[in-house]
Amino acid sequence: MGKKVIGRRDFMKSTLAGFGGYFFLPRIDMKQEFRVVEAKGKERKFVYRTLGKTGIKLPVISMGVMNTDNYNLVRAALDSGMVMLDTAQTYRRGQSEGMLGEMLKGRPRDSYVLATKAHLPSDQKTGLYTEEATEDAFLKKVDTSLKNLGLDYVDIYYHHSVAKRESALHEPILKALEKVKKEGKARFVGITTHINEPEVIHAAVDSKIYEVVLTSYNFQQKHYAEVRSAIARAAGAGLGIVGMKAIRGGNRQTPTVKNTGAALKWVLQDPNVSTIVPGFTTFEEMDVDIAVAENPLLTNPEKNDLETVASASGLYCQGCRQCLGQCLEHLPIPDLMRAYMYTYGYRNLVHAQDLVLSLNLPQSVCEDCTSCPVKCSIGFDISSKIRDVVRLREVPTEFFG
Amino acid sequence: MQKRCLVKGLLCVSLILGFVGLQRASHSQEKTFTFPEVVGWRQSGEVQTFKPETLFEYINGGADLYLAYDFQELKVGEYSNEKKASVTIELYHHKTPTLAFGIYSQERLPGANFLDIGTQAYIEANVLNFLAGSYYVKISSFNTGPDDREILTAFAKKVSAALGEKGALPSILSSFPEEGKKKNSEKFISKNFLSYSFLHSAYTADYELSGKKFKLFIIEGLGRDDCRVMIQKYLQQTGRPVKDPVEGRYMLSDPYNGKVDLHWNGKNIWGILNESDTSLRSKYLDLFEAGLKKKISSD
Repeated sequence: MGKKVIGRRDFMKSTLAGFGGYFFLPRIDMKQEFRVVEAKGKERKFVYRTLGKTGIKLPVISMGVMNTDNYNLVRAALDSGMVMLDTAQTYRRGQSEGMLGEMLKGRPRDSYVLATKAHLPSDQKTGLYTEEATEDAFLKKVDTSLKNLGLDYVDIYYHHSVAKRESALHEPILKALEKVKKEGKARFVGITTHINEPEVIHAAVDSKIYEVVLTSYNFQQKHYAEVRSAIARAAGAGLGIVGMKAIRGGNRQTPTVKNTGAALKWVLQDPNVSTIVPGFTTFEEMDVDIAVAENPLLTNPEKNDLETVASASGLYCQGCRQCLGQCLEHLPIPDLMRAYMYTYGYRNLVHAQDLVLSLNLPQSVCEDCTSCPVKCSIGFDISSKIRDVVRLREVPTEFFG
Repeated sequence: MQKRCLVKGLLCVSLILGFVGLQRASHSQEKTFTFPEVVGWRQSGEVQTFKPETLFEYINGGADLYLAYDFQELKVGEYSNEKKASVTIELYHHKTPTLAFGIYSQERLPGANFLDIGTQAYIEANVLNFLAGSYYVKISSFNTGPDDREILTAFAKKVSAALGEKGALPSILSSFPEEGKKKNSEKFISKNFLSYSFLHSAYTADYELSGKKFKLFIIEGLGRDDCRVMIQKYLQQTGRPVKDPVEGRYMLSDPYNGKVDLHWNGKNIWGILNESDTSLRSKYLDLFEAGLKKKISSD
């Protein structure tokens, strides 16, 4: 009997729909609020949305000032009509904040919205805060940010990089945030999350302290439906929602998104997202993002591009780590799946072999079990993929040279 | 179409694996780093390793910048002592010493307190960072009290010795004119210099002279043709399209970056930014040229 060949349509069903939720939302005929902005003698019409109960009105595209140290790029973004700049104390060890402070000198304070953030030490394994995470420590961070920026206050100060409900509700930080607001050092306080987003977003709503959520949200997330649902609850409770990692997803997904405009529009199809903070580093990228602010509606070719990439990403491990602990031999399955991705996704056999060799695997791998107890969340035949990729151990390195 | 390519790719890789799987040979010997033993301290927990695809799990959004500098691997080791103090060592390995210098220079504060460890180190409360060849090492401490500096320095020296690679700053930095240069302000930008994708990487340094602040830069092209393409695209960008640009000096009015004077010679393009005084711009381009000649003759 020949192998069953899966058609593109079936394949899409088994990946996109299988992940739950609608990949594309029905077009909402809500009245888009447009504002005409004057940018270097050129009129632009940007779509604006309101950031929850903060009442701040923003273009749907803002700037993530993470990867650039060129203040001329930031200045061009503001001059082109963007309003919100998003940075963090950790970016370039405070130098990103410093560069912004320098660039913003002389600009009317109400002409831009400035958001920055800080986090405190946490245990890498549990994601929970260590004893160093005190109210005073957080307050010191806020003061350092203001000093770096040369500002009396910021518009949004985020509790940064939270991965657990317990951390979102860490009392010393909640107290610090209340104090920061009371003292006028931040107009609004928020929380950011890159992983385990739904849990953190729900905790943010429950806290009744946070006013803004900055969350990873992209079309390649396996759990985008859960993220979307948590966002809907938060928006319903009046929290402002800002999207991030819309394009690259923090480098966790593969392959690279070529149609970046479409990736941004995918996030903006969710009316609960007020704005996104793409970290563009070139003027060319900025122009692409500005075009999205002018028209965030997805076209059919863009939808096709996104479907194609999202389907391909289903061919590789999504890093959910639900397989951990299931293997009787305690094999490092996520690492082996990464090696598989290096091999077949990136065609980087050197990298794949390096990884396989570094794992100190037993001599015999996936050969002694009569059946495999590992249940992959996206249905991979784990043992067959492992048997395939561990063959790299046998390959002379020179062969790849 | 894409699916067909993917299937072809899978078949191709499978064939390679199938073919070489028959061969037996010794495994590659990878250089391994062992976290050093430090008297009075014990390693707590296992060493964590992060690759480009997982660095995000450790430093979240900060990972993007490291990836732009061809990050290869991060090893994290933690130590604690009986006084409940702790020290964390992060060892970032980049593809080349230049790229490691690049990420180090992005985070280095020019006014920091510098030490002679590795290629260069600096220390502040609870933090000691240093560069050693293709490694960028970040050491942080907690609850170390008044001995903090001593403890961080001791750890840094141990790690530096274990790496066995002191390294050196990129030699091209010696060609930057000394007059007015802000010490330790040199940077390496790995891509998109001046926020243009066609100007790939560049070295920069900040200057201050009689209250005037400006920046010098040099782009090391892959060769003359590479530089010609860069100049051609930059002229196009600034509204002065030239079909076949020649080596020499160009004064550009960049719509975003202001006045940019640059000089192209061979595989190098050097220039000056943020300075309105024409004679000062010329003086520094000449000084740069002299520095480059001196460097080339000493290489």
